[in-house]
Amino acid sequence: MTKRIFYTIMTVAVSVMLASSLLFMTALYSYFSRTHMAQLKRQTELFAAGIEAIGADYLDITDLPGEEDYRTTWIGVDGGVLFDSLKNPGEMENHLEREEVKSALATGYGESQRYSSTLTQKLLYSAKRLSDGTVIRLSVAQSSLLALTMGMVQPILIILLAALLISVLLASNLSKRIVKPLNELDLDDPLSNQGYDELSGLFHRIDAQKKQIKSQSEELSRRQSEFEAVTGGMSEGIVLIGHSGEILSINPSARRLLGCDEIAPGAKMIEINRSVGLTEILERAEREGSSEGTIRVRDRILRLDASSVVSEGVSLGCALLILDVTEREKAEEQRREFTANVSHELKTPLQTISGSAELLAGGLVKSEDVPGFAKSIYSESKRLIQLVEDIIGLSRLDEGAPDMAVKSVELFSQTKAALSGLYSKAGEQGVSVELTGESVYIKGVPQLTQSIVYNLADNAIKYNRRGGWVKITVAPDGDRATLCVEDGGIGIPESEQERIFERFYRVDKSRSKEISGTGLGLSIVKHSARLQGARLSLDSAPGRGTRITVSFVRDLEPDKGQDMQNM
Amino acid sequence: MRLRFDEQLGLLHRELIAMGALCEDAIATAAKALAEGSRSLAMKAPELSSEIAHRERLIESMCMKLLLSQQPVAKDLRVISSALKMVTDLERIGDNSGDIAEIVGMANIEPTDNTHTIQDMARAAIRMVTDSIDAFVKRDVALARVVIEYDDVVDGLFNRVKAELKEQLADRSQNSEKALDLLMIAKYFERIGDHAVEVARWVLYSITGSRE
Repeated sequence: MTKRIFYTIMTVAVSVMLASSLLFMTALYSYFSRTHMAQLKRQTELFAAGIEAIGADYLDITDLPGEEDYRTTWIGVDGGVLFDSLKNPGEMENHLEREEVKSALATGYGESQRYSSTLTQKLLYSAKRLSDGTVIRLSVAQSSLLALTMGMVQPILIILLAALLISVLLASNLSKRIVKPLNELDLDDPLSNQGYDELSGLFHRIDAQKKQIKSQSEELSRRQSEFEAVTGGMSEGIVLIGHSGEILSINPSARRLLGCDEIAPGAKMIEINRSVGLTEILERAEREGSSEGTIRVRDRILRLDASSVVSEGVSLGCALLILDVTEREKAEEQRREFTANVSHELKTPLQTISGSAELLAGGLVKSEDVPGFAKSIYSESKRLIQLVEDIIGLSRLDEGAPDMAVKSVELFSQTKAALSGLYSKAGEQGVSVELTGESVYIKGVPQLTQSIVYNLADNAIKYNRRGGWVKITVAPDGDRATLCVEDGGIGIPESEQERIFERFYRVDKSRSKEISGTGLGLSIVKHSARLQGARLSLDSAPGRGTRITVSFVRDLEPDKGQDMQNM
Repeated sequence: MRLRFDEQLGLLHRELIAMGALCEDAIATAAKALAEGSRSLAMKAPELSSEIAHRERLIESMCMKLLLSQQPVAKDLRVISSALKMVTDLERIGDNSGDIAEIVGMANIEPTDNTHTIQDMARAAIRMVTDSIDAFVKRDVALARVVIEYDDVVDGLFNRVKAELKEQLADRSQNSEKALDLLMIAKYFERIGDHAVEVARWVLYSITGSRE
């Protein structure tokens, strides 16, 4: 800006100087020419008068100082030169055709001017006819405009230079003075500025716009904090992703679910989570408008819902909703498995029953085999009944049946009672069952406690070796009471230990009938224990045996009367 | 001009991360196929490695274009040249994962085979690959150094696998053919670890400008 002002001033100054000096020179020159000519004319008239009075001798006595500049020529009537102050008249040509001579002969006076061959000089001629018909001509050399200018170049240049210098100083000073107040404008507080009244309109406008921007940015940040407050409290993750994959906004839940603590501003989504699934979902959302899918992030299953944000036909990016569906997926899987198991478990005995019955009905069975078929129908029916009872029992446990009020229970006698029905079975298997311990009261439900003992001991006997052993111990342990069922049986592989409490889960997948069972026993134990606030722990190794410990809540002030009634 | 260059560098960065993610996927698939003896998973691995090879060519031509058209200097040049080197190692990781899956598919390895140590190796190798890519993403010098150190763990595990297989062959508890296959698998995991170290080194180079 300063520079432009400076250059403009300079250009104007220089061009004005050049133009004025040109004008000055031209005017001066034409004035010079006129005065020269007038002087020459007077001189000619003087000469003419002198010759008329004195005759030719006048020419010889005119060697006056200052007059040597003039060239005098006397031309005869026939045009021949009679006298010339410079050259020998004999060598000169006829002058009759010269312009000034011609007009002098015609009108009595004539003048003309011609440039010399070098152009540096202009020759002025003036001629006058004398009374005898001859012509006296005077000529004088005058410098041409060019020569005049050349002669004046030095002073002109000096003046120009001086003027230039002054205008440089003035221009730079002026341009600085013009720009300085502009540079010092305080745009943060536009109304406080002085200096240019012309700008006050602009300042008012700026001030108004500043206020508007401020209120708008306040509004924006208010909305932003509203948005953050809303999304911050959500358990679902929300991520807004810009057009080139950069994260515009991410709420704490999304950060937690994706497992990233801090996010640098402008970070790309792919830097936060580069899983192929997520990238694909985002790409599909961009292409098709919306997409969904699930990905795994550190043992969690996340459901992603992405939809592209389109405004006026231009894709601005993508909004991503993240839901943690791990629990749901797991529950779903368990339910699927449970349904499949129930159908399978119910179907197997039914098929045996229906097959046997069909054979019997068709009369295809020899009479001596009938009891065998009847027996298998009977045992399978019993199995079915047991299964249905177990399922009903489990669903009652699931619902937390109201008749199962917690009261004081004597654990040792309950254990003894539960075991009484198992000795014969243990005998068949050749397994010894041993109960040790002391009387201890717990807070529990008698039926549930018995079902825990029964199922654990039943398993210990079933999954045992021939001639193996089962040890059951009841003991107080601080404010808790433990029931420990230990066996030297086949044990449970470590990889299966987590799952054996699931419904229908059986370590032996082949579901061979060698060991009867519904696969619900341990599930019943788990739920029964949960309802009584008891804890389960398992310690098992394949080939070495299994020890399951149930830790009940001990009742330190037992209500013996009620307990006696129960017994 | 510079803006466009930065945009292209950003794209290169994203493409590299995506390729890294594919490598992680490939090695995880191979490891899972090994752990579960799953043939269907083993079949998936070659697809992944050819996808990775395709990405490698893509990124390579991208780097070449950047080198030719932008004539980068200093840090930009380091970033692009290290990207050129990194894709080679990443591609090898994908390749080796494919090889592992192929052996799992052919050798009929069952989950019951005693492959605990090899699975430890797989976990260690996966960790190295993941960490090296994380180091690239976060430009984390410390993490890159951790990866380089961690190679010793994988090497140690490889030696253990070798010793175990030797024992199993000596007491004839392992089929000799399967033992050879298992040894190959272990070697491939060890190679993957080496490539992860290379990736980490290039990450270090692109950040610090010196090869360690």
